[in-house]
Amino acid sequence: MPEPLLQVDNVTVRFGGLVAVNDFSLSVERGTIHALIGPNGAGKSTTFNCISRFYQPSSGRVRFDGEDITRLPASAMAARGIARSFQNLELFNELTVLENILIGAHVHCGGTLRDWLQAKPPAVMRHIDGVLERTGLASYRDQKARNLDFGHQKLLELARALAIRPRLLLLDEPAAGLRNREIAALDELLTRLVRHDGLTVLIVEHVMQLVMSISDRVTVLNFGTKIAEGTPQEVRDHPAVIEAYLGKEAAAQDPHHA
Amino acid sequence: MRILGLLAALAALIALPFFTTGYIIYVANLLLTFTVLCLGMHIVIGEAGQFSLAQAAFYGIGIYTSGLAGNAFGWPFPLSILAAGLVAGLVGLGIGMIALRMRDIYLALATFAFGEAMQWVFLNWTSVTGGPNGLRIAPAGLFGFEIVTDKQAYPVVLALTVLMIGLTVVISRSRLGRAFRAVRESEIAALAMGVPVRTTKLAAFALSAFFAGVAGAMFAIFSTFIHPDSLGFQTTILVLTMAVVGGLGSIAGAVGGAVVFGLISELLRQAPSYQEIIYGLILIVFMMFAPRGLFAFAGENLRRLTRA
Repeated sequence: MPEPLLQVDNVTVRFGGLVAVNDFSLSVERGTIHALIGPNGAGKSTTFNCISRFYQPSSGRVRFDGEDITRLPASAMAARGIARSFQNLELFNELTVLENILIGAHVHCGGTLRDWLQAKPPAVMRHIDGVLERTGLASYRDQKARNLDFGHQKLLELARALAIRPRLLLLDEPAAGLRNREIAALDELLTRLVRHDGLTVLIVEHVMQLVMSISDRVTVLNFGTKIAEGTPQEVRDHPAVIEAYLGKEAAAQDPHHA
Repeated sequence: MRILGLLAALAALIALPFFTTGYIIYVANLLLTFTVLCLGMHIVIGEAGQFSLAQAAFYGIGIYTSGLAGNAFGWPFPLSILAAGLVAGLVGLGIGMIALRMRDIYLALATFAFGEAMQWVFLNWTSVTGGPNGLRIAPAGLFGFEIVTDKQAYPVVLALTVLMIGLTVVISRSRLGRAFRAVRESEIAALAMGVPVRTTKLAAFALSAFFAGVAGAMFAIFSTFIHPDSLGFQTTILVLTMAVVGGLGSIAGAVGGAVVFGLISELLRQAPSYQEIIYGLILIVFMMFAPRGLFAFAGENLRRLTRA
């Protein structure tokens, strides 16, 4: 079996006296969709921010494609093929859809002075047109990001991340606040990206309908600790998961629960 | 249509000296200088969103650098201009490295403090700046030819302004300009896109200082005298007000603001004691009612009127 694309080893994050993530390990295999779920405050986003280098873990190691990235700056991730979206939208609000996506392609625009002066390199524009097409944002390309409706703003976050041409896509609650129809479209898009284009996705999500439908593996966090891992089916029936989500009483009704 | 308008404006500017007096040309030189100062502020505040309040200090560094290059070494003026821009830009780079560790109001305060410190240096480094006596600036020269009158200086000042406007347009349209705007809109998203946020801010800061330095050299071409009193916080506020009146974030706004507000300030010279109060009022009114500037405000309202 090939080496996992992303390997998180024994990561612990402390904020003062609070242990947000405790000795957490995770392997994300290439070409799979891996979901990270858990109740609010379980440490999902903290883990996410460690992987994308926005937080520094107190201990532990993060490896991407064999390279130790634990000490690298957040701005070094895009060039390595790690893209992320944000839980609360982080769009460039006053810029157009196209400009937002062009900034996503920042690391693909070359390094010479001529490259820097050229705002829209043809090769980059071809890729971006493809991204606009598949995310359905083509007809909005000259609109300001802040003028889009919420569903399209979420899509724009995803499109901007795709412009990085990622190998690993980190999605922080991409379905939060979306309508059912939009969730179905997201499901379809993500599935196609992984099955067809060979992308690897790590997703934090509360919308179980999406998690259960698209994930190859699911990891469950509670109070900063991993409590279960497996296929969506295995995780759904896991007593510790039921307890974490529904409380002890509900879990006690489960005959398997010790 | 737009290009025709710009060409017409340029033609009018080129023709200006042939049917006006020296005083009008002096004012025009001053307005063009303020235009370049405003462009510098547009880059750092309007594009990159970093609140720098040290524009007058970099302007002063530019004036003294080019003035001394001419006075003491007799450099030809194109070289003095370049030196003024580069020295101001390098000082800006150094200050930026320290100040850009801070953001928002703290950055504003740090750059304000630097501006005040520089004015103190201008006042007390007597051997170089002449201190409170001011500095006589020798006429700018090139291969024996000397610029003595405002009318002689005007073509040079105008050409420099056009050059700097062009440079601003090129930067703004380039990937660097896009990186500036990304940093302004969201630093964390910019980081995630691989934009080196600190370096980008530093580039904006140094570029803005470079523009102010060139503006200083422009001033030195048509002026014969500089006193530290005119290099204080009022000048920074004057430039900031111009940029806000014109509309932060647009090049046309920066240019328009400098011209419109420069004229207002020239008219207000008759009443110096009210000048500061009126500037302050204009700044507040614009921030409250037309935060995107005079031209965007007028444009929106015209559109609303024509639709109604």
